[in-house]
Amino acid sequence: MNQRTLLYDKHVELGAKMVPFGGFELPIQYGSVKEEALAVRNQCGMFDVSHMGEFYLEGPGAVEFVDHIITNDFAGAETAKAVYSPLCREDGTVIDDLIAYKLGPQKVGICVNAANIEKDWQWISARAEELSSRFEFKIRNQSGDYNLLAVQGPKTESIFKELGLIDDSEFDYYRVRARTYKGLDILVARTGYTGEDGFEVFIPGDGILALWDDLIGAGVRPCGLAARDVLRLEVCYPLYGHELGDHLTPYDANLKWTVKMAKPDFIGKNSLEGYTSKYRLVKLSLEKGIPREGYKILNGDEQEIGVVTSGTMSVTLGKGICMGLVERSRFPESKKFKIAVRKNNFEATYHAKAFVTGGHK
Amino acid sequence: MSHNVPEELKYTKEHEWVAEASGIATVGITDFAQSSLGDIVFVELPEAGTELAAEATFGVVESIKSVSDLYSPLTGEVLERNDELEASPELLNSDPYQNWMLKIKISDTSQLDGLMNAADYSAHCEGQS
Repeated sequence: MNQRTLLYDKHVELGAKMVPFGGFELPIQYGSVKEEALAVRNQCGMFDVSHMGEFYLEGPGAVEFVDHIITNDFAGAETAKAVYSPLCREDGTVIDDLIAYKLGPQKVGICVNAANIEKDWQWISARAEELSSRFEFKIRNQSGDYNLLAVQGPKTESIFKELGLIDDSEFDYYRVRARTYKGLDILVARTGYTGEDGFEVFIPGDGILALWDDLIGAGVRPCGLAARDVLRLEVCYPLYGHELGDHLTPYDANLKWTVKMAKPDFIGKNSLEGYTSKYRLVKLSLEKGIPREGYKILNGDEQEIGVVTSGTMSVTLGKGICMGLVERSRFPESKKFKIAVRKNNFEATYHAKAFVTGGHK
Repeated sequence: MSHNVPEELKYTKEHEWVAEASGIATVGITDFAQSSLGDIVFVELPEAGTELAAEATFGVVESIKSVSDLYSPLTGEVLERNDELEASPELLNSDPYQNWMLKIKISDTSQLDGLMNAADYSAHCEGQS
């Protein structure tokens, strides 16, 4: 049985098509996916991402512990900074990707993928237990207590100021602030997964209902999972279960930048030291046809060298785009690729950079 | 969800419509189909001369998120395809009955009797929405 978020009735009222996702029933689209995605690129759109998981850690060892279990640098991050990172096993494979928020010198929030809440909680709480003599802190799984709304697009900042969700003080990208809204303690983070500027709001209990209505009143367009997937794929952000998975390391998904070998010690460091990835994550586009997950990636001689992990029609570019994993040993130096779309092997264009540059700060 | 089901057409359970005149069937997808798919961004249709078998797939229609097969309502030969849909697949969203996909020379006109009328098709959609 799938869970429902508090906003379920509002989604249905707005005519959303609801689908199961990560154990929840969520809106895939309200109307046109294209219009929803373009609203985020050009104006402002919002996503109910209450299904995502939140863990809170508090105590003198909280920051050092998080730094130890993730590959990116968290100990060195300033207070109020958000850090994107893979969470790895000893063998370097990825349990999940997450954002860790340094809420204070002894206080950390972690936001994880809905489908992985249980897996992550088991892993992290077992490490907390095992390392309790080294790191002193308490950890709570508050996934059910907090709801999360992602509001994204170039007009988000002015709308947030208008509603008093942020003030005029400096608020950089990938930072988090504690704020109050209608008497509730909320967290506002300048993060998101669309490539656009915007904020994510962590709000306790049913506070999200009033926030949602206020944002609708301010002209923010509700957007579904389909638009979210198009947006993240256009800017080439990996998604767990597609470009990341239990059998892959961060290096397979072009996430070397998130693995900080200069850190004295972290889980997975020994395995990732000197490790060469098995795959290379490629970005390909088609002039004709749309690449889809599972389609074969071929070299110029039409030999199979990999597989599409996520594919869609880019609403910004008006062509088919995808990311895919290609075996490193078979990566064609010529950078000539084809994608098998049903009976046709279409020539694909290799992209060194993301398909779309979002407008985030 | 209300959708348009013209009285004069025949329908398949896979949401194609058929208009028959002088042994030639004009085929497209229904309003219910375009509305369920959402923004249609790609259509792949067979060339003229292709032999189609009733209920076999003849092409695909893709929305941003999904790929759906198209099923031939009848056995016959493709006489013509609507090439306008390659450049402008969104025409299927704006008017699915005006923007036909194929014209097929019907091999066996008795197959038309196996298709649904408007009332039966409406009831069929009711069961799916």
